[in-house]
Amino acid sequence: MLDVKDLTIEFHDHLAPETVVFDFCLHMEPGEIVGLVGESGSGKSMTALAIAGLLARHDMEKRGEILFEGKDLLSCDRQQLRALQGSRIAMIFQEPMTSLNPVCRVGWQVEEALRIHCPQMTKQERRQRAMQALADADLKDTQRVYDSYPHQLSGGMRQRVMIAAAMVCEPKLLIADEPTTALDVTIQAQIVELLKRINQEKKTAILFISHDLSLVRQLCRRVIVMQGGYIVESGTVDDVFYRPKKAYTQKLVGAIPECVRQGTKGNTGKLVLSVENVHMGFVQKRRSLFEKKRRIEAVRDVSLSVREGEAVGLVGESGCGKSTLSKVILGLEKPEQGKVVHYSEHPQMVFQDPYGSLNPAYKIGRILEEPLRIQGGFPAAERRRQAQEMLVRVGLDEKIADRYPYQLSGGQRQRVCIGAALMLKPKLLIADEAVSALDVTIQAQILELLRRLKEEMGLAILFISHDMRVVYQMSDRVVIMKDGQFVESGDTDTVYFAPQHPYTEQLLLAAGIRT
Amino acid sequence: MKYFAKKLAGLVATLLAVSFLVFAAFAVIPGDPATAMLGTEATPARVEELRARLGLNDPLIVRYARWAADFVRGDFGTSYRYNMTVKSMIWDKIPITLTLAGMSFVLIVLISVPVGILCAWHAQSRLDRTVMVVNQIIMAVPAFFSGILITLVFGLVFHFFTPGDYVSYHTSWSGFLGYLFFPAVAIALPKAAMAAKLLRTSVIAEKKLDYVRTAYSRGNRTKAVLYRHVLKNALIPVVTFLGMALADMVAGSIVIEQVFNIPGIGRILLTSISNRDYPVVQAVIVCIAFLVIFINFLVDMLYRWIDPRIALE
Repeated sequence: MLDVKDLTIEFHDHLAPETVVFDFCLHMEPGEIVGLVGESGSGKSMTALAIAGLLARHDMEKRGEILFEGKDLLSCDRQQLRALQGSRIAMIFQEPMTSLNPVCRVGWQVEEALRIHCPQMTKQERRQRAMQALADADLKDTQRVYDSYPHQLSGGMRQRVMIAAAMVCEPKLLIADEPTTALDVTIQAQIVELLKRINQEKKTAILFISHDLSLVRQLCRRVIVMQGGYIVESGTVDDVFYRPKKAYTQKLVGAIPECVRQGTKGNTGKLVLSVENVHMGFVQKRRSLFEKKRRIEAVRDVSLSVREGEAVGLVGESGCGKSTLSKVILGLEKPEQGKVVHYSEHPQMVFQDPYGSLNPAYKIGRILEEPLRIQGGFPAAERRRQAQEMLVRVGLDEKIADRYPYQLSGGQRQRVCIGAALMLKPKLLIADEAVSALDVTIQAQILELLRRLKEEMGLAILFISHDMRVVYQMSDRVVIMKDGQFVESGDTDTVYFAPQHPYTEQLLLAAGIRT
Repeated sequence: MKYFAKKLAGLVATLLAVSFLVFAAFAVIPGDPATAMLGTEATPARVEELRARLGLNDPLIVRYARWAADFVRGDFGTSYRYNMTVKSMIWDKIPITLTLAGMSFVLIVLISVPVGILCAWHAQSRLDRTVMVVNQIIMAVPAFFSGILITLVFGLVFHFFTPGDYVSYHTSWSGFLGYLFFPAVAIALPKAAMAAKLLRTSVIAEKKLDYVRTAYSRGNRTKAVLYRHVLKNALIPVVTFLGMALADMVAGSIVIEQVFNIPGIGRILLTSISNRDYPVVQAVIVCIAFLVIFINFLVDMLYRWIDPRIALE
C-alpha cells in the first residue's frame, strides 16, 4: 500500500544545503502498524510530514519516491495531494491543544474532512458521521463534546477528538506523530489501546512515530530506528528490541530504564527533611460574579521524610498535587495545616525545562556564580574557581563557563541547572520532572549523574516524575500520589513488585512494567 | 449572558466614575463662572446673587447629583455664553462626529484587512516589502498633516470637493457624506496602516501554528486554511486595536474637524473651552466619554464572539 523508496530531504535555506533525511525506505501493507523511533533531530517527523504531503516549502528538495496505492506522492500536484489528504491519509499530532483550532467548535472541526471530501453529504449526514466518529474514539457525551470548544476539554479528550477528526473519512493510512507524548501515562495507555482497536476494526494502517520505546513495543509489530536522518536498523519489534545488531540501537534500548529488582538498602542517615501532616487547598478563582467559590484540596494530610543520601521518588499524574507539595516544601507556599521541617540549609530545585530555566542573557559561569554572589562573602576569583569545579563535577568542560545557554544542547543545559542548584552544597535537591524533556540516551546520562552526585555528596533527592521507569531507576523509596493524597508508599521494590493499591497497578500497567 | 451582565455593570460603573471626575474637575478649576458670566458688571453682591441662583454654593456632591439627574433626563444645562440650552447646541453635532468616525472606521477595515492578509500570505516577497515601506511612511504622517495635503491635492488641484464648503446633513445626505469622505480618509490612513501591519504580523504568527498544519492535513485548499482557520484567530489582536482606534477617533475628532472646517462636537469643544463655557465643555466631554466607553463595550462583546476562550478568564 505504501512504498517509500530512497526518500531524501534537503534544506536549502542556509549557504550549504543540509540533508535531514537520507535514503529512507519503508514498505507498509494495509492494516499494518509500523513504529518509527528516534531521538529529537533524527528526521522522523520530517519523514512523516513528507509522507503526509505536508512538506511543501520552496527552500526544500525531496528526492526518491513515495508510492501510495501505486501513485507517487512526490510527483503529484497540490490538487491530487489534497484529494488524498484527510480522506485516504490522515494525521494526528503531538499537542492536541494547539493542533485544534481554538476558536472553532469541535463538531465543525471533526466534520471538516467530510465537507471537503464528501460534498454530496447533507448537513444531517455529516453530523451523524461526526457523532459516530466521536463515539468510536471512546468519547462519552458526544453531544456536549460536539458543541464544545477545544479549551473546554481535557488533554486526553482533545487527542480523542483529533483521532475522531482524522478517522471520520476512514482513511487507509493514519500517521501518528508522537500522539501520546503530551499526555499522562494512564491516558497514554488508553490512547494506545484506542489506536490498536481502530487498527483491528477499521483495518487502518498506522505509522506510529515516537521517542518512547516502551510504547512502540506495546503497539507495533515492526519498527524502524532512525538517527541523524539515517535508518539505523529495522525489523520486527522482537528482533530490534531483544537482539539489536547496531551499536546505536543497543544504546537506545539500553537506555530504557529497566525495572530489575535492586534489593533494599536500609537507610539510617540523618534526617534532612520531614513533612508532617501537610494540608493545602486553594479557593478556585470565580469565573463570574454569581458563581459559588469552589475549594480544591490540592494536598491532603501528607507526611514524608527524606534522609541523607537517599532518593525518594514521588510519582503522580498532572493535577495530583505534586507541584503544590514541592512548592510547600521549598517554602514558596505556606501550608494551611501541618509543618515542613528542614534539617539543612539551602534546599534546591531543578526543573523540567532546561531551556526556560536558564537566563538566556547570562553566560554559564555567571549563572553558576549567582547563588554565591547572593550569599556574599566569596571573592570573584573564588566564585570563578568554584563554578569551574562544579562544571567538571557535573561532567562538563570548564570552558563552558564562557558560553551562553543557547550554545548548549538540552542535556548540557540540564547539567548546568543541576550544577547551579548544587553550588551552595545543599543537602536536599528537589528534581521536578528533571529528565522528562530529554531524549532517552541523554535521560540515562543525567540519571547516572544524579546517582553519582547522591553517592559523592551524600545528597538527598526528592525525585518528582510521572515516569514510573525513570523513578524506579532513581529512587530508594517511592511515594505514589493521587488527588492530593499518598495512596501508596514504601520501598521501591515492594511498591513495584507487590503493589497494594489499584492505582499503582494501573500506573505500572500503563508503563508496561507489569503485564 | 453572565459575561454580558458583567460587562454591562462595568459600563455603568465606569460612566458614573467618569462623569463624576469630569464634574469634580470643573468644580476645582480656578475661575468663577458667575464672575465670568457677569463680566464687567460683576459686583460682589450680584456675583453672590447669581451664584445662589445657579446653585454654586451647594456642596459638590449635591451639585453633582442634581447635574447627573438632569443629564439623564436629557437636560444638559444652559450655556453661560450663549444663553441657550447645551442640548440644542450639541445634539445635532453628535451625528456629524459619529458619521465621520464611522466612515473612517469602515475605510480602515476596508483598507487594512486585504492589505494585511495579502502581505502576510506573500511575506518577504517584493510586494510585501514595498507595501510595508509605504505603510511605514503613512503611519508616520499624522492625520492633520495628511488632511492638509488632501485638501491641497483633492480640493484645490483636482476640485473633487470644495474646502471649507461644508454641506449639512439637513440639506443633503449625499453632499454631507461626500464632504466627509476626504476627512475620513485623512483620519483612516495612519490607523489603517497600523492595523494592516498588526494583521500581517498576526497572520504570519498564526500561519506557523499547529492547527494550520492540521487544517492542511485534512485536504483544505490554501484559501480555505486562510479564511476558515487563520483569519478568525489572527483578527483577535486586530479587533482590540480597532476598538481603541474607533474610540480614539471619536475623542480625537477635534483636530481634523478644525482642519476641514466641520462643525462637529470637536469644534464646539474647542470654542467652549476658549470661552470658558463650562456647561458645554462638561456636556461634550461626558458625551465623548460615553461614546468611548460604549464602543469599548461593543468591542468586548465582539471579542467574546470571536474568541470563545474569553469567558473563562
